Amino acid sequence: MTGTHALGHTRMATESAITTEHSHPFSTGQDLCLVHNGSLSNHNRLRETLKRAGVQFKTDNDSEVAAGYLSWRLSEGDDLDEALNHAIEDLDGFYTFAIGTKDGFAVMRDPIGCKPAIMAETDDWAAMSSEYRAIATLPGAENARIWEPEPTQIYSWKRS
Amino acid sequence: MTAINLNESSVRELNEKLQSGSSGDQFSVNNTVGKHALSVGLTSEINVEINGHVGYYCAGMNQQANIVINGNAGPGLAENMMSGEVRVTGNASQYAAATAHGGLLIIEGDASSRCGISMKGVNIVVGGNIGHMSAFMAQSGCLVVCGDAGDALGDSVYEAKIYVRGEVKSLGTDCIEKEMRDEHKKELKELLKQSNMNHKVEDFRRYGSARKLYNFDIDQVDEY
Repeated sequence: MTGTHALGHTRMATESAITTEHSHPFSTGQDLCLVHNGSLSNHNRLRETLKRAGVQFKTDNDSEVAAGYLSWRLSEGDDLDEALNHAIEDLDGFYTFAIGTKDGFAVMRDPIGCKPAIMAETDDWAAMSSEYRAIATLPGAENARIWEPEPTQIYSWKRS
Repeated sequence: MTAINLNESSVRELNEKLQSGSSGDQFSVNNTVGKHALSVGLTSEINVEINGHVGYYCAGMNQQANIVINGNAGPGLAENMMSGEVRVTGNASQYAAATAHGGLLIIEGDASSRCGISMKGVNIVVGGNIGHMSAFMAQSGCLVVCGDAGDALGDSVYEAKIYVRGEVKSLGTDCIEKEMRDEHKKELKELLKQSNMNHKVEDFRRYGSARKLYNFDIDQVDEY
């Protein structure tokens, strides 16, 4: 198995049904996927707005709206950082996002920052988790730089 | 010294062993790898040294025990601590010492958001910075910050005292800067000494409640 991004998660569903379709990661565009811890309160209205802009949705899940929103911003010409900055304005609710693109990875928390998150970085990899246990077993984790991401600050990496 | 290896013992076994310790006993805990709820509910004057990062709710409800964590701590450190001392050599995540009634929590690095939320008598000394909404609705005790404080410090604070050496990004509702009187200087000096923080008392400012938000007037007693 080869690849550049790896993802593992357990979903505690609060906003939509417990089905495979409602499970993360959500992908609404080419080479973009999103994992969301939290819940969005304005997802219904935003979904309608995005539908009119041509974004297609498969579920009634709030996290998929966040993925759709980012896909739409990227299609409007934003880079990932710009799209996330717009998300702070337009998404209402609480969230910690991990976003994977073809050559990038980004993390952002809402201004309240109540959903737990921890990040780690070495020369070989960058990782985000909601608890250190998930990072502890990665190779070289004991010497990784470890920090808690600040609210509304975008942490992004791009493969060269 | 009793050594407990978490590769071999479960967290439940660890806590049972620590909870049945007698005054003066020494324990060391290894291979923590961020496990949750380590060293919780202790009630006797034992010494526990935890080597490595710990997960959520470490040292919760501590009474009398002296706990040192050589590493970082996840959310909910020393939640509802009653007495004793907890020291973290690294950073601590959200809501450290939330609702804690007594004892001393020392965080040598930074503390994240909501540090000391609804604290009820604990003393907290942070060597670095603290995050937003710290000391929210803090009722009593002291929060000492040797670095900077984030947004909305001391929002809706009651009678807890907040001492900050660095910058305060913003004060929360009903939190104001207050005069440092001799009694405060004495109290702060003692806390800095107890926590081995080498700073001058004169470099700190004191913040507390303007008492405009929770003013109980005896004439209104019949209203309730």
